[in-house]
Amino acid sequence: MRKVLKLSLFLLIVASIAGFSISYVNGITDPLIEQQNAEKKQSSFNDVYPGADDVKDESKKYITNDSDEVVKEVNIAYKSNIPVGVIYTVKPNGYNGKIEMLVGFDINSKKITAIKILSQSETPGLGANSKESFFSDRFKGLNAESSIEIVKKESVQDNEVLAITAATITSKAVASGVNVARQHFISNFAK
Amino acid sequence: MNLGKEFSKGILSENPLFRLTLGMCPSLAITTSVFNGLGMGIAFTVVLLASNIVISLLRKVIPDSIRIPCYIVIIATFVTMIEMIMHAFTPELFESLGIFIPLIVVNCIILGRAEAFANKNSLAPSIMDALGMGLGYTLALLVVSTFREILGAGTFLGYAIFGQSALIMILPPGAFITLGCVLAFLNKIQNRTKHSVNS
Repeated sequence: MRKVLKLSLFLLIVASIAGFSISYVNGITDPLIEQQNAEKKQSSFNDVYPGADDVKDESKKYITNDSDEVVKEVNIAYKSNIPVGVIYTVKPNGYNGKIEMLVGFDINSKKITAIKILSQSETPGLGANSKESFFSDRFKGLNAESSIEIVKKESVQDNEVLAITAATITSKAVASGVNVARQHFISNFAK
Repeated sequence: MNLGKEFSKGILSENPLFRLTLGMCPSLAITTSVFNGLGMGIAFTVVLLASNIVISLLRKVIPDSIRIPCYIVIIATFVTMIEMIMHAFTPELFESLGIFIPLIVVNCIILGRAEAFANKNSLAPSIMDALGMGLGYTLALLVVSTFREILGAGTFLGYAIFGQSALIMILPPGAFITLGCVLAFLNKIQNRTKHSVNS
């Protein structure tokens, strides 16, 4: 009995020293990580909706119980205090897990301004190419009022997007994320 | 105790990846680019060095019957610290290594060195052992990832070399093919040197 107590006490001491040192390092690095994430978010907002003066997270107002759970955040872009654009964070299911991406809409023209993949775990060399600009540029300027389809042939019509070669599932996942954001946008901002 | 020998054994004769074939899982998974290989190697070396130092210093204090949980707590602490430091200062590397940083905790090389070396030896040899093993592991990752990045993506450290590339080398099968070829080559060399010594 005494031995068990002695051993557990020793383990307790080791674990608490470990805990204290981790929390010390966390205290140093946490503000840096936080700041980095914030900067990164701001610059990706600017990629997706360029030229806004201010972007505010208004998810609480626009994400209700009825909205699709793929929609994670609704950010409104303001230009001289007038809402001009909407930036969605959506997380559709990809081939290998969730794809986190931003979709930007212009309220005036009801068009997609740009999309940006924030994080993904798709196959390197195939689905992972979805984060490259050659693919995301294919969504630029599409009309938000009708559904976006992924096609495999070269000749794309209005609101059709050419799939990434050998990564149709990933391409479709990205399009489904855009479509969910599009529906939310149409029902909330395009009246 | 020959310190130089403790250092050099990790690079060739007891190379953790090529000779002891330990830590296969993260090694196969992250060697898709030289940058990842180098980052993993450095993170691994730092953790191994820190854990070897602490375990070697505490080897007379830690009770024998609970040494393994103690080692794991110590290793996990260093890995968590490295993870937070990488996240704060090298976010790009942190993102590309992803899940494999926390997995350093269960990398059998580190626990293996703690159990097989650091808890039996004093501080100086343990440091040399950690540096040698870390360098050996980093070099091994660099060899595998160099082949895979050049053949699979046509680049080296991100700079384009070939226009054409064989995608399979970046995908998981490429890791096994590369590692198999390197191991076969090293065994061939070893057999040849043995033969020449015998005859």
